[in-house]
Amino acid sequence: MSKYSFLNAKLRARISKILPDELFDELGAAPSIDAALALLADTPFGALEEIYSRTGDLKLAERELLKSEIGLYKNIREHIHQDCADLLDALLSEFEIENLKNAIRLYFDRKIRKRSVESQVHYILYDRIIHDIPIDIIVNAENFEEIAGVCSGTPYDQIIKKYSNTVESEGSLFRMEVGFDHFYYQNLLASIAKLNRRDRETALRLTGVEIDLQNINWIIRFKNFYDLPLEAVMAAIVPGGFNLDKAVMGELYSAQNVTSVLQGFVKRKYPGLSALLSSQTSDSTSRLLLIRRILEEIMKQEVQRILAGYPFTIGIILSYFILKRNELKKIRTILNAKHYGIDQERIESMI
Amino acid sequence: MIFTTEMIQLFAVVLGRDCERVTEALLREGVMQFINISELESDKPESLSAIKPQVSLAEISDLRKQVEGFLRTGGITPSPPNEKDLNNRAVVDVKRESIRLDKMARERDSMRERQRTIQQEILKIEDIKRQVELYGIGISDVTLPAKHSFISMQLGKLPASNVKLLEDGLKDLPSLNIAMGRENDMAHYLLISMKRDSESINKILANAGWSRVELPSELKSVKKDVFTELAAKLEKLTGEQKQVEEQVDELIRKEEKHLSEVWVNLRVNELFQKIQANFKSSSRTVIFTGWLPSSKKDKLTRMIKQACEDRCYLEWNEAGSTGIIGDAIPVSFNNPKTLAPFQMLVKNFGIPKYGTIDPTPFVMPLYLAMFGLMFGDVGQGLVLAIAGSLGVHFWKNDKAKEGLRNLAWLIIWCGGSSVLFGVLFGSYFGKSLFRPLWFDYHGIIAGHSMYKSAVNDIFDVLAITIYFGISVIFLGLLFNWINIIREKKWAELIFDKGGILGGWIYAGGIYAVSYMISHDFKELPPGAALFFLVGLPALLLLIKEPYHFFKHEASAERSNLLFALINFLMEWFVELLEIFSGYLSNTLSFMRVAGLGIAHVCLMISFFTIAGMTSGIASVAILILGNMLVICLEGLSAGIQALRLNYYEFFTKFFHGTGQLYTPISLNSTDK
Repeated sequence: MSKYSFLNAKLRARISKILPDELFDELGAAPSIDAALALLADTPFGALEEIYSRTGDLKLAERELLKSEIGLYKNIREHIHQDCADLLDALLSEFEIENLKNAIRLYFDRKIRKRSVESQVHYILYDRIIHDIPIDIIVNAENFEEIAGVCSGTPYDQIIKKYSNTVESEGSLFRMEVGFDHFYYQNLLASIAKLNRRDRETALRLTGVEIDLQNINWIIRFKNFYDLPLEAVMAAIVPGGFNLDKAVMGELYSAQNVTSVLQGFVKRKYPGLSALLSSQTSDSTSRLLLIRRILEEIMKQEVQRILAGYPFTIGIILSYFILKRNELKKIRTILNAKHYGIDQERIESMI
Repeated sequence: MIFTTEMIQLFAVVLGRDCERVTEALLREGVMQFINISELESDKPESLSAIKPQVSLAEISDLRKQVEGFLRTGGITPSPPNEKDLNNRAVVDVKRESIRLDKMARERDSMRERQRTIQQEILKIEDIKRQVELYGIGISDVTLPAKHSFISMQLGKLPASNVKLLEDGLKDLPSLNIAMGRENDMAHYLLISMKRDSESINKILANAGWSRVELPSELKSVKKDVFTELAAKLEKLTGEQKQVEEQVDELIRKEEKHLSEVWVNLRVNELFQKIQANFKSSSRTVIFTGWLPSSKKDKLTRMIKQACEDRCYLEWNEAGSTGIIGDAIPVSFNNPKTLAPFQMLVKNFGIPKYGTIDPTPFVMPLYLAMFGLMFGDVGQGLVLAIAGSLGVHFWKNDKAKEGLRNLAWLIIWCGGSSVLFGVLFGSYFGKSLFRPLWFDYHGIIAGHSMYKSAVNDIFDVLAITIYFGISVIFLGLLFNWINIIREKKWAELIFDKGGILGGWIYAGGIYAVSYMISHDFKELPPGAALFFLVGLPALLLLIKEPYHFFKHEASAERSNLLFALINFLMEWFVELLEIFSGYLSNTLSFMRVAGLGIAHVCLMISFFTIAGMTSGIASVAILILGNMLVICLEGLSAGIQALRLNYYEFFTKFFHGTGQLYTPISLNSTDK
């Protein structure tokens, strides 16, 4: 109990400050991005409004949002018991991996696709997150060898070396990015395995739902943008899902009526959500999006279950991160939608 | 005050030609919570239709939000309209205002675009600056760059007429072009760019007729100038950025008066139409219905009749009568303003069901008594009261901070309670300065009370809180009975856990325990008395399940009577367990009041002891810090525990937070 008592109180106080749904409705209904940011002025996200008013640059404001999110993890890391520090590092590595992926994408666009990256190089993070990765060098690199070289001493150099030839031969970063994602989840599951029984069960449950969500996102991308054979899809699927194992994922990729695949477990484990499955959707992509929504609802239910249950577990920390990530995602989505003039109804469906 | 405000439902029929004036009267009064008349459609579907305004509600709302968006961008929060604005209501020229707003939006967007362009320039310069700072590049590095530097520097000359061509070409790339001087019609430049752009740069340079030149010796110290140039360029761009930002502010400031006026008119029209959205009309008449507090009935009748010159039919139905439309009756609190902080605590738990007891007036004395018993000290109470007063002063005129203002008032009340109990316990910043009016809390805890009173030891303090808890629980049970009687649920009155049998068992249990205590825990009450006090009501509870079974489920389940019998016994057993364990834990829970009070005294004694080990300023500092710590920590925990006891030991006995708050459409409505 002593391990989490301080953090539990601290995080519950922070959870109470997460923006309410009504404010998101107001943001969605705001007539312009300026008006939406003005609504955020009196919230903990007031800095976004200040940056946008000063620069008119939404991406810059988003970068600040990302920095504050990383700061949040680092702050919790300072207060956490040593037993859970590995898990926090694993969670924090998601930001480092995403940033590294972004830097490699810039290199790839510049060097291999011969595109200008000048408008994007300013919006990635150059600060240290966990490891000393010289993002500058990666963006400006001449080849993958150089990138792997500057990443030596980090867990990423092997992944870069392993997939650099495939990237060049296929002209796509797809496999390397899947490799990074797999590494992230392996590392996360390994750090969860070090926790005590109660924490492990809680963390596995939440991470499992997150893996389900990640996999379903991949499946949606595969169906829409790539024409991959089933084996390639199965190789990309991250193991460790909570509700959807590899076999179900395979079925989802191949099946026409994807909702029927899910009916069994949704009705058994989350009867409250089974009504969603009966929604009439026209094509398989819409159905997959519906499944993503169901999984997001499942994640919400899991978080609510943890918050209402025994408070002194790792669950409170993970729940906080999930809630916070959702909050930030919603803000990003709404602001970008406002920037591109997307209407309120569509925004509501997006968040 | 004890019950929620009595509500009444109005069903009105007015002539179509009076519709506008009646709507205005309804908005002016702002007391009606409307029911959408479509609920009547099952009776009269063919003859009723919605009122179609000239401009739709959605259009007005959108426009109002657009104006509000501009005002908020300028840091202006519009105030709600008043009666004068209602009198001056004008038809909204949506088209004209939309054109005006679109023009403003276009101007603002082009300014934002300009800001973005400048920002891109700034980012490019910052990129170069970061590289220069990171790798310490100097002019000599043109030929020998620092390891991992991505900066490329070159000195060259080009025809002066091509300078613009060069500048235009470099516009989209991070670069710095420093003029070094002129020689006839050739301009000399030092160009700093990113190596990654070398391909594009070379093309641009070739187009501009650039030719490299040797580095003159007088330029060896140019590194300093590079920084100066970068800083100057950054400063210039930042200045421009600031100017554009001010232009955006100015754009809104310039239009502030007009926008505020338009917003008010739009808001009035929006509210007007929100009311009319609940109307249904036939060829000549308009009907509407809704709830309002009974006390407002006469005034509203007068206002409607005045608005339509008596050409109306008004039917009033009291809550609970057969003629009412809809099931949900909105709940309005009926408390004086002084109780607002305590009403906030009740609302936080839930809205009482219509017609049931509103616990607010009881929460006030109970909460304050609990707080005072846990945190009784004159000096510390005064500090709390002062802190609360500052809060009230600080958030006095801010409507948006009403919650914080109520919290500040709650702190003042808690401070007052603390002062009162401090006088009763004779505690002044943890010191016994005057004779306590009730008992010497500090003396009892320290084990050397100087004053004789009815309370002499810790057990007496614990007993006080137990008696207090029993009273609170009985009050909760009494309220439950009143609520049930008002709803005429007689079976529930008898069999509910908080009903008469539950209360009987609880009272019997208390008697049995007090009997045991008075007999040194060696004797129970006589068997017959014990049976009458606890056994009989427990046996009577056995009737509950069969009663429900034969009343509600008998026909469906009669075939399985044996199973039903086992079920009755199980349910009875579980219910008895719940009653015994529930009431016991509820009562013992109040011992936390004594616990917190004792902890408060102990902490103060500890600080005085520590202070006694030192002298002079250190001693005073320890006492000040100790008091501050106690005020913050103990004050907070006493507040939380008092709230917890109210919520879980008191409210759960009678309170159903299932009510819907009364939200009439008025000029002050805050709906979005």
